[in-house]
Amino acid sequence: MIGAAIKKDFWLLLRDRGALISLFMLPVIFILVFGSMFTGGDRGTPRSIPVWHAPGDVRGENIVATLKATDGFVPVMQPSADAVRAAVAADDYPGGLIVPDAGPVELVVDLGQPAQQRGPLQGALTGAVMQSMAPVPFSTPPLVEAKTPPGVAKPLANISAFQVTVPGNAVLFGFFIALTCAMAFVNERKHGTWRRLLAAPVPRWKVLLAGLVPYYLVGVIQLAFVFSIGIVVFGMQVAGSPIALILLGLSNIACAVALGLLFAAIARTEKQLAGIGSVVLLVMGMLGGCMFPRAFMPGFMKSIGLGVPHGWALDGYYAVLVREGTTIADIAPSIGALLGFAAVFATLGIALFRFER
Amino acid sequence: MTALSLRGLGKDYGARKAVGALDLEVARGECFGLLGPNGAGKTTTISMACGVITPSRGGVAIGGVDLRRDPHGAKRKLGLVPQELAIYEELSATQNLRYFGALYGLAGGALVDRIAWALDIVGLRDRASEPAKTFSGGMKRRLNLAAGLVHEPELLVLDEPTVGVDPQSRNHIFETIKTLHAKGMTIVYTSHYMEEVEALCDRIAIMDGGAIVATGTIDELIAQHAGTGIEITVAGEVAAAAKAAEAHGTVERTGNTLRVIPTAGFAPVIAAIEATGATIARIESHEANLETAFLKLTGKTLRDEAA
Repeated sequence: MIGAAIKKDFWLLLRDRGALISLFMLPVIFILVFGSMFTGGDRGTPRSIPVWHAPGDVRGENIVATLKATDGFVPVMQPSADAVRAAVAADDYPGGLIVPDAGPVELVVDLGQPAQQRGPLQGALTGAVMQSMAPVPFSTPPLVEAKTPPGVAKPLANISAFQVTVPGNAVLFGFFIALTCAMAFVNERKHGTWRRLLAAPVPRWKVLLAGLVPYYLVGVIQLAFVFSIGIVVFGMQVAGSPIALILLGLSNIACAVALGLLFAAIARTEKQLAGIGSVVLLVMGMLGGCMFPRAFMPGFMKSIGLGVPHGWALDGYYAVLVREGTTIADIAPSIGALLGFAAVFATLGIALFRFER
Repeated sequence: MTALSLRGLGKDYGARKAVGALDLEVARGECFGLLGPNGAGKTTTISMACGVITPSRGGVAIGGVDLRRDPHGAKRKLGLVPQELAIYEELSATQNLRYFGALYGLAGGALVDRIAWALDIVGLRDRASEPAKTFSGGMKRRLNLAAGLVHEPELLVLDEPTVGVDPQSRNHIFETIKTLHAKGMTIVYTSHYMEEVEALCDRIAIMDGGAIVATGTIDELIAQHAGTGIEITVAGEVAAAAKAAEAHGTVERTGNTLRVIPTAGFAPVIAAIEATGATIARIESHEANLETAFLKLTGKTLRDEAA
């Protein structure tokens, strides 16, 4: 019976263009858009920084020389201090430097920008100015060296934005299988095929399972498709164990389908389901960091993100995609949390499901 | 041998008693009609008989197999044709039947044979590979019937199978049921169309208010419950005339026309109406038939229900 249900639901899905687009095309489009936004067009290219100092000013010339020596900046000389300010105000450059004859160097930057956005530039330019003024060059040996602490696997050398946007959208859209699955139950009831199923010589637990298994398989195919596109088209890498990634994916879809059962138990109509289900999934996705990484969220929001399965799934995906040598044991908390959520959703779903509504 | 046996079968929804405690036996090979106005409890009864809903009391046996003790054994003998179009419109006729056949354990060559047989019997073989959504309403109804038939059940339960179909498809469904009945299949049939039940069924149960109010062959029901009816068109205070007539028979009012089945002849009815001051504009008598029996038993006409 389960095999027949899988065939039937696959036939139905293949004829449902809307569902195919939302399950397979939308994640790819979102990955492309978000990935391109976070990558930017100048990744790896030095940033131009407008600079002005008085002709022959030694301090200014040292700063320009230091900027030229870095990989990250190219100084662009301006005819006046006001020209630097005007260029930054016009958004032609992210920031600029004005070196007066005396007094502090002026770092021209829009302070209205979020600290996360202007902070790295502000820090790097301040560092470059300080380096240029040091009486002794301190680049060799370095005074500060960044190192990953023991117990945390080393991340990949070049992490592209797609390492984050592919799993983010895979989780966000992967959970939408809950809606597709619940909609199938609502439609069975609406069109009377549910009565036929209940009149057939099939145990009720099997009727329920037959409504879930096809969507579990569709979810697995969707996740495999999105990650394959991520790897082949967007150059996403898998730094950790592929087996760990597969187990995490299977747990993720189990959780999504269990949530689908809970939706099916609660919603009576398509309208209810589309309204409540979509909002719940989008809020869960936002809290879990699917649209905006939890790493950039304030502390309390980071904690709230772990109150939804999306947050745990993304933590696991980030580890296995970005950190070299990540094993199943490393992401066991994520897998455990996803299966725990799945158990809670399934238990509530079974308790609330009414066969004879 | 009994094909369907209902013993004290009833269903409550909270404090509301949808079906009381029904006792009914349908013999093997019989075509049995279930008639009743909307809300009489027909669909609830059929749903309990098919294992779709759990009864609050009583039991069901299908072909001698107790539905509670051996639900799968009992359900294997049963085919249900719900009132709704319980098919997947995006799938072809064959794909629909393949799925519904698989629910009954059919597979391989046996399933292919059963699908071909079911499509033949409902006249859809030439449209087998087309999606059901391209079918007319009548063709969808025929596919709905085929889906209940594909496993060739001993007992076929049809819940209003001809609702909203064109006359041609209605005749086709009608002939299909006759053919299946002639081959020995037991049929339980509910309908709003009295003429269908009269033409098809060997025996009939009339339901009202969650109870069976009469059971028998058409001749028995007419003999026991139908009287010759009169249709009286009244001018004046129709409501008062109807109330007066109710003291002398069963009355169904439509506008200013009263349809009366008198308990003791026409004269007391006419006298009572005239005593209210109303004027009788027209009187027409009707022969005793199943419709007058139904009216007498339920106080309603099926024609009004179907409209």
